[in-house]
Amino acid sequence: MTAIPIARLTPLAWLRAGPLGVIWRSPRATTGAVIILLIAVLALLAPLISSYDPSSGAFTPWIKPGVGHLLGTTALGQDIFTQMLYGARLTLLIGIASGLISTAIGTALGLTAAYYGGRTGEVINTVTNIFLVLPGLPLLIIVSAFLRGGGVWAIILVISLTGWAWGARVLRSQALTLRNRDFIHAAVSTGESPARIIFKEMLPNLAGIIAANFFGTALYAVLSEAALSFIGIGDVSKVTWGTMLYWAQAKNALLQGAWWWVGAPGLGIAVLGMAFAFLNFGVDEISNPRSNHAGKATRVLRRKSVPKVVDAAGLPLMSIQHLDAGYVTPSGPVRAVRDVSLDVAPGEFLGLAGESGCGKSTLAFAATRLLDAPGAVFGGEARLAGQDLLSLTPEELRRTRWKDYSLVFQASMNILNPVIKVREQVYDAMQAHGVHDKTKLEARARELFELVGIRPDYLDAFPHQLSGGMKQRVVIAIALALEPKLVVMDEPTTALDVVVQRQILQEIDQVRRRLGISIIFITHDLSLLVEMSDRIAIMYAGEVVEEAPAQQIYTAPKHPYTQRLMTAFPPLSGARERREGIPGRPPSLAQEIVGCPFYERCAVHLPGTCDVKKPANVEVEPGHRVACFLQSPAVKPAVYQEEHDLASD
Amino acid sequence: MNYLLRKFGLLLFTLWIAATLNFILPRLVPGDPVGAMMAKYQGQLTPAAADALRVAYGLNDQGSMSHQYFIYLGKLLRGDFGLSISQFPTPVIDVIALAAPWTIGLIGVTTIISFLLGSGLGLYSAWKRGSPLADWMPPVALFLNSMPYFWFALLLLYLFALKSSVFPLSGNLDPFIGEAWTAKWWSSMLRHAALPALTIIVTAAGGWLITMRNNVMGVMGEDYLAFARAKGLSEGRIVNRYVLKNALLPSLTSFGMALGFVVGGSILVETVFSYPGLGFYLYSAVAAVDYPLMQAIFLIIAAAVLIANFIVDMLYAVLDPRVRDGK
Ligand SMILES: Nc1ncnc2c1ncn2[C@@H]1O[C@H](COP(=O)(O)OP(=O)(O)OP(=O)(O)O)[C@@H](O)[C@H]1O
Ligand code: SF4
Ligand SMILES: [Mg+2]
Repeated sequence: MTAIPIARLTPLAWLRAGPLGVIWRSPRATTGAVIILLIAVLALLAPLISSYDPSSGAFTPWIKPGVGHLLGTTALGQDIFTQMLYGARLTLLIGIASGLISTAIGTALGLTAAYYGGRTGEVINTVTNIFLVLPGLPLLIIVSAFLRGGGVWAIILVISLTGWAWGARVLRSQALTLRNRDFIHAAVSTGESPARIIFKEMLPNLAGIIAANFFGTALYAVLSEAALSFIGIGDVSKVTWGTMLYWAQAKNALLQGAWWWVGAPGLGIAVLGMAFAFLNFGVDEISNPRSNHAGKATRVLRRKSVPKVVDAAGLPLMSIQHLDAGYVTPSGPVRAVRDVSLDVAPGEFLGLAGESGCGKSTLAFAATRLLDAPGAVFGGEARLAGQDLLSLTPEELRRTRWKDYSLVFQASMNILNPVIKVREQVYDAMQAHGVHDKTKLEARARELFELVGIRPDYLDAFPHQLSGGMKQRVVIAIALALEPKLVVMDEPTTALDVVVQRQILQEIDQVRRRLGISIIFITHDLSLLVEMSDRIAIMYAGEVVEEAPAQQIYTAPKHPYTQRLMTAFPPLSGARERREGIPGRPPSLAQEIVGCPFYERCAVHLPGTCDVKKPANVEVEPGHRVACFLQSPAVKPAVYQEEHDLASD
Repeated sequence: MNYLLRKFGLLLFTLWIAATLNFILPRLVPGDPVGAMMAKYQGQLTPAAADALRVAYGLNDQGSMSHQYFIYLGKLLRGDFGLSISQFPTPVIDVIALAAPWTIGLIGVTTIISFLLGSGLGLYSAWKRGSPLADWMPPVALFLNSMPYFWFALLLLYLFALKSSVFPLSGNLDPFIGEAWTAKWWSSMLRHAALPALTIIVTAAGGWLITMRNNVMGVMGEDYLAFARAKGLSEGRIVNRYVLKNALLPSLTSFGMALGFVVGGSILVETVFSYPGLGFYLYSAVAAVDYPLMQAIFLIIAAAVLIANFIVDMLYAVLDPRVRDGK
């Protein structure tokens, strides 16, 4: 049975939605915020909590912590608990004020540098780098030493002036990537004023990073204040947690055994600092999402267990049965692959097509168990030669990968490891599966490079020395290295020009025929697909809506969506004329789809039928399956619906 | 080698900025430092010392500001920082020569150890995410990293030197230890360095842990890592050749940039343990209003950090082929 985690609205939902939402979405940041609020409340209510005066030495010196004095007394007979309460005020003020000021400076300079670039950017960048590498505390010390007696605000100012550079640097690099995004380019070219673009368009997108930076600098400020006070710079007659440590040290508290006098303010600083650090870390984690998978295989969340191996005799090479897969997001699951069943025969070339976002890549990755978190498989099976890939242990999976099947990833500049040579990346795939002989490795690598049309010298290049198309060819070469039974190719030729593309595909095709390799080929180029494939499957909104031999689907498509697709691309031969696209957009994959997913856009839909029931996927002619009520009145079995009720329990 | 030239240029430029800052600061602030020092020493300043001060601040020099500036730069280049006021008439440079090796030894070694240790733990914490140990590391690291260095130093001092005298209370060597580099000398030196070193390693490693963890997680989201896994490479191979090599690069950058902060924090540790390095003398100079010594120590620390940064930049060029090609 499928199991799909459904996000529920919690009573705290309103908190998460607001501008402070980032904080509440991370447990760590929440902890930090609560600690700071607590300290702030204690500090504000100090006169109510303690009736003592923080600086009057009215008590016996050196009293141990106990009932009368929670945290004991100082050498001068002051109550330490009271000092902690009042000291929190200035300590917090210094932390927050310096955090705000240096974040403001850093943000302004970082954004300006990123926005203007060129000369201005260069100058700001140099200044930032200088402030970054100058040792902060020694600088603080000598500046403050000259500013002796400047009071709290002098300290705040000095800390801010030495603490902004890190923020400026982080912001600049983030803003630079933002600056190159389409919507900013659009705003610039429509003549919007720089101020408007910076404040209205860029700033909101950087809010998380700015917030993280603020908490980071607040931590820096709290620690700097403590350090400055400790060495007696600044106004030691004012009570802060830092000056408390100064007095404790000046009066030799530890030699007297008065550990509490040192312990309390230091722990206070550490906890306050940690709270800021938690906020910084938590907010950064949320607004800078990093991958969530830990180098592990795709999560399989299905409930039913299936036999790991079945007798492979007479089975297709690759058999996908009722596969459900998608992404687990904070706002609920996205079901990008919905009950897909698909077979690939040995030696077969299967084409997979469909609009962008319909789930082709998700299907390919889920079936080969390469879908990274937040991706997950919710149910179904994917068998390669009878073996269920979804129930393999990590080590079994490791040994199967590349040897039994390989995958050419959708075009990406970052597909090769930038810091090691291409040669090693070709070799290691083979080495991982038992080829260790150097001469064999070398010979095979050269052979593969010839095959995809790259000079073998490039084996000794680094990836950045290759063009996008060359990288793609290297990846194809690596995919063929061990002559696996199945190669999945996800738009493998998009970065290549038409001539090279043909050449390579022909080479691949020859290899395939010679070795009997099966290929699953994903592309938007329908004419290419029709030409190359034995069979074609068409996906729409996560489902396979039609599946037939290539010629048949080209000449006699049965599903209204396929029909629109086939007329939307130019004929294989003859005049090129402009074809119109399909009006409307596919339904969101985050929601349940009642009835036929194509209903909204289907010109021939049957109201009352197509929008209330789901058409079953039926073999209407030998080898030709389609899911449309115009072809067959069969309704998809209710078991599918049941599974969903189960899932939301 | 365009890259290194540029970095070297920045090094020189930043050094020059630091030196200029040093020149301007005393002249910028209200009240003159000589007056402040005279007040502090309340007439105990010998006429010779007062003269030395005036020379140090160019007050005897009636020439223009720019003239004074060039004289100052010239002296700097010759390593002439004037005379220390608190240890009059010892030249500042002699005080520094005595103190610097201890600081470089203590802070240099511990910073490298804490970087390696923290980065290793950070790698573990990111790679093994989901296991209890790995998930407990970041909060603990954040806490350790938020402790004031000198406070943790005080705690260690209290526990291991005062309550139980496992380690000495202060100083860098036992008195009358005799010749350097003997076995006896080494044991004394290491015993004295143990607590300060532990302080720096424990408080700084947390920061490197968090940095490395973030970088590793960034790398784990990269396509080349997904590709490496698809190839069925072994875990060890992926960690060594794919994750570590890539995650270490941004960590190195952070290392260079955070160095100033770490060194700044570490010098306070010296004052707690009365470890006679630059930090300790900086502290005494501040307490004694010894401006010439204070400023010279700032310059030396700045120069050391900048040079360390330049070394990190060179290392970066060795590790990253893209930088080597000037991309
Ligand atoms: N990490 C993710 N979190 C949530 N939803 C995702 C995620 N990645 C993809 N999706 C959604 O899953 C759906 C399928 O994506 P997929 O990449 O499989 O499409 P595709 O058919 O390969 O498209 P294209 O032709 O553009 O490559 C899309 O609607 C997309 O919005
Ligand atoms: S089932 Fe109905 S809505 Fe869907 S494609 Fe067929 S005719 Fe159109
Ligand atoms: Mg895709």
